[in-house]
Amino acid sequence: MSHYLTTCTFCGVGCGIYLETTGNEITGTYPSMSHPANQGRICVRGWHVHEVASSPDRLLSPLVRKNGRLEPVNWDEAYDTVASRLKEIRDRYGPDSIGFINSARCANEDGYILQKFARTVIGTNNVDQGTSLYRTNSVEVLREMTGVPAATNSIGELPESKVIIVNEIDVGQQLPTIGGVIIRAKLRGAKLIVVGARRHRVAEHADIFLYIRPATEAFLYAAMAKVIVDRGIMDLDFIRSHCEGYDHFLKNIRSFDLLLAARRCDVSPLLIEQAAIEFARLKPGMLLYSTGAEAHGKDALHAMVNLVLLTGNLGKRGSGIMPLAEHNNLQGGCDMGMLPGYLPGYAEVNDPSARERFSKKWNAKVPEAKGLDTTEMLCETGSLKAVWLDRHNPVVSAMYCDAGTALDRMELVVLQNLFLTRTAEYAHVILPTVAFGEEAVTFTSTERRIQAAVKTVEPPPGLKSAWEQVAEVAWRMGARWDFASSEDVLAEAASLVPAYSGVTHENLTREYGRQWPCTKERPLGTPRLFADGEKIHPFRFKEMSPVFPEEPEQTEFPFVLWFGHSLYYWLHNTLVQHSEVLKREYGILFLDYPDGFIEVNPDDAKSLNVRDGEKIRLVAPAGEATTTARVTAEVRRGIVYVPYFLQEVARRLRGGYKSVEGRTVHVRIEKAV
Amino acid sequence: MKGRLIHKDDIIRLVDLLRKDRRVIAPFEGKGRDSYFDEVTDANRGAVALHLPNPYYPPKRYVLPHIQKLFHISDGGRPSVLEIRDEPQVAVFGIRSCDLEGIFHLDRFYLGNTFKDNYYEALRSRLFLVNMVCTDTERDIEDDCFCVCADAGPAARNHFDLQLMDLHDASGEFIAVAGSPAGEALFSQTFFHKAGPEHVARRQNVLEEVRKRFKIATSWYSAATKFITQGGIKDSTWKHIGDRCLECGGCSYVCPACSCFTVTDRKTGPGTWERVRMWDACALSGFTRMAGGHNPRKAVHDRRNRRFFRKLGHMFIQKEFAMACVGCGRCVRVCHGDVGMPTVVEILRRETSTTEATERP
Repeated sequence: MSHYLTTCTFCGVGCGIYLETTGNEITGTYPSMSHPANQGRICVRGWHVHEVASSPDRLLSPLVRKNGRLEPVNWDEAYDTVASRLKEIRDRYGPDSIGFINSARCANEDGYILQKFARTVIGTNNVDQGTSLYRTNSVEVLREMTGVPAATNSIGELPESKVIIVNEIDVGQQLPTIGGVIIRAKLRGAKLIVVGARRHRVAEHADIFLYIRPATEAFLYAAMAKVIVDRGIMDLDFIRSHCEGYDHFLKNIRSFDLLLAARRCDVSPLLIEQAAIEFARLKPGMLLYSTGAEAHGKDALHAMVNLVLLTGNLGKRGSGIMPLAEHNNLQGGCDMGMLPGYLPGYAEVNDPSARERFSKKWNAKVPEAKGLDTTEMLCETGSLKAVWLDRHNPVVSAMYCDAGTALDRMELVVLQNLFLTRTAEYAHVILPTVAFGEEAVTFTSTERRIQAAVKTVEPPPGLKSAWEQVAEVAWRMGARWDFASSEDVLAEAASLVPAYSGVTHENLTREYGRQWPCTKERPLGTPRLFADGEKIHPFRFKEMSPVFPEEPEQTEFPFVLWFGHSLYYWLHNTLVQHSEVLKREYGILFLDYPDGFIEVNPDDAKSLNVRDGEKIRLVAPAGEATTTARVTAEVRRGIVYVPYFLQEVARRLRGGYKSVEGRTVHVRIEKAV
Repeated sequence: MKGRLIHKDDIIRLVDLLRKDRRVIAPFEGKGRDSYFDEVTDANRGAVALHLPNPYYPPKRYVLPHIQKLFHISDGGRPSVLEIRDEPQVAVFGIRSCDLEGIFHLDRFYLGNTFKDNYYEALRSRLFLVNMVCTDTERDIEDDCFCVCADAGPAARNHFDLQLMDLHDASGEFIAVAGSPAGEALFSQTFFHKAGPEHVARRQNVLEEVRKRFKIATSWYSAATKFITQGGIKDSTWKHIGDRCLECGGCSYVCPACSCFTVTDRKTGPGTWERVRMWDACALSGFTRMAGGHNPRKAVHDRRNRRFFRKLGHMFIQKEFAMACVGCGRCVRVCHGDVGMPTVVEILRRETSTTEATERP
């Protein structure tokens, strides 16, 4: 028996957990009491890591499709097949006909090598993280306004915040450890302001619950800013010392109409006022948000950062803005450059000097044109001929396109995963990878903590890390990389990403990882950004548009459709599907509603005479769809919540696969006889 | 009970002796506050710790593993079942009194009545338990401990094969008490020597001092038991407790007295399966979902209600002659919403039941 301190790889908290092994099997798991992020607590997923890690149901040899059927082959044949086909496709159609999509749960080493392969061996910038469509909005907005595309504080500071705003995310479900920290902070006297269109578990604890219409938070935060400005309770010292663009912002916000915003959000203006005053008055204050806001476009993000700057909530303990990463390596994947417009460390693809620097280091020319993102790569009218998927399962999780159709017309689909997924039906080559606990790699959590996931058992013979498999193919295509281990990969990434320059596999295991920037000047990492007044550039206000469209009266289609992105993600997660307890817990909704479901408020259901579990028809101007109603008090009145996995329903009601940013769809509900 | 003395420097010799014919599990210090039970080997025997925080991962897993293979099934014409049963002799050295009480509680569940669980019995019958009494108020006992409230510590009265207790004086002696013939048989070893009445008196003094340590977390059960048994807790109280629960299952997993499990079959290859048993928790929604879709404990507050009724309801205490809480304090540490036993007992104690009582017919 042995005990290994490692990092849980489900969500972005990055809890410290122990794996207990017996012989060559992982037989137990439990929390680390001293880990600064979770301090003895983990969620139901963490408690069942050992169940997933010991699942005997996994792929043990590579598969190549021959005559329509997936046949087991040896590793050389698998790598040779991939290399020769990639070469062929690249030569015939050009480098940009090939795309690379990984999962936000792939390790830093995997992400770094995959984008290096794409850029230097294939010659394309078509790289992206599949499970984080809208994260680039945060990356761009935060780089522009604060200078750093990441959370400004550590999770361990939340207990010191006197006021906390949680925007939209069901944090108790998605990042339970942080949900718990927030609940306990509130119990100890912090003021909790919850904003969103879903009344989730943590919302039950809110001192002020701004139960807004979906996608209206931009108006809400702008209204709060106006209240603060009108009362003169902004932090002028902070603004004058550290910010630019304030005068312009001020001019705009002054002409903002609070009452109109309250009507648009459908909450009381008095409540907005109260929330604004509390957030300005109580210091320090923290604002947390996630995919929900990102999916609504940049306005919401601008408004949130403006509020944080207005109240001087950057740099002090317990004050800041935290874009929560719902997947364990969303932050790390972005840091490693798995983005079509950015190289590792957020160097911009369209910056010639950045390209020059990387070309020199990599000894290969970095392509100039910004790459396609996931929606463009997998859209059914796209131009891609080949795609490499590292543990991404778009047939199940992609709601923006018919991934099956898109993959079907490709000449090569390479899929890396532990198990056969539905996407495997479209794969030409499947490369099974090692599992959690079978490799030593690193992940970067939502609080910028770069942590090690250690090797605890030997993998089945022949299986390698995902990055190693990419390196095998790269070798066969002429690249002469020299990575003996994942430590070497991290070392190279660290040499190119200044914020990672001080990390090594070894020093990450000394304490509990290191929060970037971890550099020669800050060898132990940086728990809090801007703590000593050091900034990348002055913080920037972004003007808010004071004029916003009035929603036309929708009597024929009185309900607003709200398309979810990340809630219920774990229902379909591949690892969860291969466990017992987790599959039961996350899959109960599919047992109770086998054909899927949309969600409606109980009062709405009652007035429509619709019962829980009843089949209903949704009718929109663009089309209609039949589905099952799940009646839950979490959903706001007037809303129909559509989970991401109801792709067909969403497509019909939207009239095709279109982006949801900035568009609302109205429906009426009819009983389906 | 027979008693002897053993010097602290000789305790490792006791461990070595036990290792001759058993796997010995002992506590080790980890990083920060972390500590864990692990197998003693030649490589790590020097690091066996006598005074340290109680390992978080509960030693109930030596009788009820976190995940346990029960048997293989192979389907070659006629399915055949091959049992997996090769349990070695194991000694758990340094198990605390609270955890010991927990194992006793599990014994009543798994072996108590007409049905005896074979798999539990196989592990339990091969277990030799050496209890270490918590005496170091800095290292052994933490603010979250409340074994005195559950009458499960600091010194167990029985259920051990051998009990060791540091006398915390200049002599460096531990007093050893035998709790079974197997334990007593060890007294023939030369590193055990006679104890006198002054050592027994010293033992009493140490325990009295130790009891004073328990001030911070308390769990005054009787009022809570009374209110919960009488059905006098308001729905709104359970709703509040439920709102604080994030359904992680941790409280059941870390609890030495929690016994719930689930069973599943996993495919291991073409035509072969293994049946495994693993820890489960009534905290989880799916635990009580039935095949037809009905779930009597669907809402989270109904599940919290169920847990505390099971632990504090009088009919259970009466049936088992013990409360299903040993005061180890782990549920305090593991809970995201701070609704471990002491907090909930406090909430229930402050409950006024007059409104609900008058509403009943």
